[in-house]
Amino acid sequence: MNQTAQQDLRDEEIVALCQQGQGEVFEILVRRYMEKAFRIAFDFTHNTEEAKDLSQDAFLRAFTRIKQFDGRSSFYTWFYRLVVNICLDYTRRKGRVVWERLDKETESGSGPVELVDTSALPDEEAIAGEAKRRADLTLEAMPNKQRTAFLLRNHQGLSIPDVARVMKTTEGTVRVYLHRAVAALRQSLLEFV
Amino acid sequence: MARNDILPTACKSFEEDLVLFYYGDDSAADHRRVEVHLKECAPCRGFVEDLRKLLPQMAKPKELPPKFWDDYYAETMAKLTVPQERNNWWKDLFVPMRAWMLPAFGTAAVTALAIGLVIGKGNWRPFSEPREKIPQEILADTNQLEFFRSLDLIESLSSLESPDGTKVKPMSDHQS
Repeated sequence: MNQTAQQDLRDEEIVALCQQGQGEVFEILVRRYMEKAFRIAFDFTHNTEEAKDLSQDAFLRAFTRIKQFDGRSSFYTWFYRLVVNICLDYTRRKGRVVWERLDKETESGSGPVELVDTSALPDEEAIAGEAKRRADLTLEAMPNKQRTAFLLRNHQGLSIPDVARVMKTTEGTVRVYLHRAVAALRQSLLEFV
Repeated sequence: MARNDILPTACKSFEEDLVLFYYGDDSAADHRRVEVHLKECAPCRGFVEDLRKLLPQMAKPKELPPKFWDDYYAETMAKLTVPQERNNWWKDLFVPMRAWMLPAFGTAAVTALAIGLVIGKGNWRPFSEPREKIPQEILADTNQLEFFRSLDLIESLSSLESPDGTKVKPMSDHQS
């Protein structure tokens, strides 16, 4: 199979090939999902290196457990669940994210890649930075399930049924989580609107 | 930053529907119902407007340079290669044997068990069971047991009788 044909394979076809022993095609899934996996991990950690490690760990787990994938859900739902679980384990292990450390790293210039858009004017930039920081703090203070539902829907663009599948819960519960998260964020960010 | 004091509160009964309305996750009927409500309710309109301003901003990360993703990809593939090798080296040793290994080991185990049961039947003594303790003086006398047995035999010879009731004479008498 040539390179172009491989790139056109659906996720489930790639998984089937991996399960038959052609592990090398897994790299297509890495290319396909690396950005999304990294972004989710970053939303949980706010640290580039840790986000990198966690998301790469998710790929590693997906690869080693690929034979356990039974196709009952789509690959990306299964993979998202892996990433989210790894991130939640991380937050439980680590406790609250230390925001001060992120600020210090950013000030010293040796910190992680900054994800806030800094192309705006200095005042706007400062306000945007403060709003982002406030939003992050509000997200951090949320219960894990609310935050996960919000990040998957708002940041990752997953549909509510997909979020429910990733979180192994009902769509109704996801709607409630989402509503609570959005209401809390709006409340904390009103002064920046 | 003057919004705090004039916080427009959306109708509580509509708030969840407004969030779903914003994301487009509501049903067509709910969508129409919310649209009708929004025409009449300024606080709810304000709520949806706020979501439109705030939420996309939060979800918008700065683009990372292509080099970041190249490095990320290379690192991930390097990490993936290591467990692959680690998982495979010992499996390769067993691949030629895999087809016959299971029945062969199974048969060998059953045979060994059967032989063990046949040969060891009735002779099995657990290793941990303590030997029966025999007093030392008796143990010392066991060597003389044969001697006492022979004496008993000699004594009983004298009491042997012939089938007709007469006593059998000892051998020494015959000779004399």
